[in-house]
Amino acid sequence: MFSRRHLLAGATALGGASLLPSIAHAKGSVAAAIYPGTWEEAFRATVAPALKKKDGIDLELQPLFAVDQVAKAKAARGAPPFDAFVLDPGPRITAIEGGLFDKLDAKKLTNASKLPAGLVDEWGVGVNAQVVGIAYNPKKVPAPKGWKDLFTDPWVSRLGITGFQTTFGTVSLIEIAKVFGGSETNIEPALAELKKVLPKIAAVGQPAAMPGLFQQGQCDVIYTNTQTVATLKGRGVDIEFVKPETGAITFLTTLHIAKGAADVENAYKYIDLVAGKEVQEALTKPPYNFVPVNKDVPLPDYLPMKSLDEMSSFIRHDWAKINPLRAGWIEKFNKEMAK
Amino acid sequence: MRTMTPPSPDGATSPADGGGKRSVTAEWQLALPLALAFASIFLAPLLMLVGVSFFNDDKISQPGFGQWAKFLGDPFSYKVIADTMLLGVKTVGATILIGYPLALVYLDASPRVQKVLIFVIVMPLLLSVVVRTFAWIVVLGREGVVNTVLMQLGIISEPLRLLQTELGLVISLTQIEMPLMLLPLISVMSRLDPNLRDASAALGASRWRTLFTVIVPLSMPGLVAGCLLVFASSTTAFISQSVIGGVRLIYLPLLIWQQSLVVFNWPFAAVVSIALLISVLTVVSALSWLGRRSGGYVHG
Repeated sequence: MFSRRHLLAGATALGGASLLPSIAHAKGSVAAAIYPGTWEEAFRATVAPALKKKDGIDLELQPLFAVDQVAKAKAARGAPPFDAFVLDPGPRITAIEGGLFDKLDAKKLTNASKLPAGLVDEWGVGVNAQVVGIAYNPKKVPAPKGWKDLFTDPWVSRLGITGFQTTFGTVSLIEIAKVFGGSETNIEPALAELKKVLPKIAAVGQPAAMPGLFQQGQCDVIYTNTQTVATLKGRGVDIEFVKPETGAITFLTTLHIAKGAADVENAYKYIDLVAGKEVQEALTKPPYNFVPVNKDVPLPDYLPMKSLDEMSSFIRHDWAKINPLRAGWIEKFNKEMAK
Repeated sequence: MRTMTPPSPDGATSPADGGGKRSVTAEWQLALPLALAFASIFLAPLLMLVGVSFFNDDKISQPGFGQWAKFLGDPFSYKVIADTMLLGVKTVGATILIGYPLALVYLDASPRVQKVLIFVIVMPLLLSVVVRTFAWIVVLGREGVVNTVLMQLGIISEPLRLLQTELGLVISLTQIEMPLMLLPLISVMSRLDPNLRDASAALGASRWRTLFTVIVPLSMPGLVAGCLLVFASSTTAFISQSVIGGVRLIYLPLLIWQQSLVVFNWPFAAVVSIALLISVLTVVSALSWLGRRSGGYVHG
């Protein structure tokens, strides 16, 4: 039998042991949702150690796609499973409409002044820009000038396209529609033109499969972002980025604080750090190839702009208008493109 | 054949066995943990899936038959179902065509060759499906192995279009699903009494006649099991279908993925999932009915 003294000693030892990690975690932690894949790898390798070093905060990354983040936060009804979101423009609007964010106080961010105007708003902070345009294989085809070229030879028979599943696919198809007389809310002209040349097109694929298809020479012209181009180039693939004559497209990936977040102060520190020079510089380097948003970080030379301010002339889209139409577009694309 | 005694249909647990009732109860209890696990992790979600399908809106708040009406009223849905089932049938046909002769070779091979063959047959199962699928992009691509070889031999002047076609997809699925056909087939065929073949030959039957009247009917249970597995697996092979087939070949799994993870319309995704489940189950039960019939023919 255990005596009371033994029991007490054991309990103390146990209590002591449980105290230890809490001492190590004195500054607490922050749970952040993150896109699986490149984003998760990049944040694990750069942001997590930097946050620990600077603020003594443990970064707990939860790999979730944008729609899953919104769904989980909605389902949790005020007790979100993470403190910070990372979102593209479409899901960002859905989340704002669903009241899932805490308002952001820009004064709490030391790096807010380093970001170009418009990147910090009442709901979140843009920490990465995507620049979308046309990529081609310079050894196989000449450089296309714009979207219209993709529908003529020699490009059309080497063209690989994707549908409306991704943000970059959606905005590219909108720009194609505009060239043929459509608009942000009317993509019919793009589908009509695609249908005309469909038998010639080299590949209609899943967004995730496109880099592989390009690498294997299945298609030599695709619409994509600079990050994919830089990553493929790093692997020795012959690929160049072209800014279409009607303009390159840009959209922001933004960080937001979840309403009801367990650790609001730590979430601010996390967001501030990601917008800071040190992390932005690390994310810009290969193999991550992010487009930086901090003015102190020099832009890589493969980008179609010399400075961040130039990006204000790039094409942006209103996702509050696009969101309600997108499901219908996806369905339409299926039916029009199906064999 | 008529004089052979049919084995008891329910084997060892026949009521005529001594102590029958007690052993049945014991067996029932043994199956209980698995049954409970199945009920909680398989049956419950399935019922939830059915429940979700009866909501009109993607926020799952208004009950109704709207999603079902939308799916069943759209001719495109029937085309996708038909294409999905046809893909399964074609893959099954191709695996039989290549797999059956291979199983016969295995049957006649020496034990050492058999070991090598089994390793080769099982190998596709040891690789991740993503690796297998991307390997097929390298093989079937415009600048892939097949096109390069054919062009260097001067057989074709322009690369063939193999990727993103149904032909390419069936070719790759045939390789990917082959173990599922061969393993049941080989296990049934290697239990066949070798004397039957000798008897057939001694009675004057040619080798072809022996194959079609003795070996094929006796191997039917294995063949049917293989068909079931290949069919169910190829109709639901989302990664291979979407990566090798591309987006222009639309099958039910692609629709489910789009609706659940891109558009986020869970009720519609649930409807499509149930459609997939029902169509696969229909074909599978037809196949197993065929299997039972052929089993009766063999033993009868």
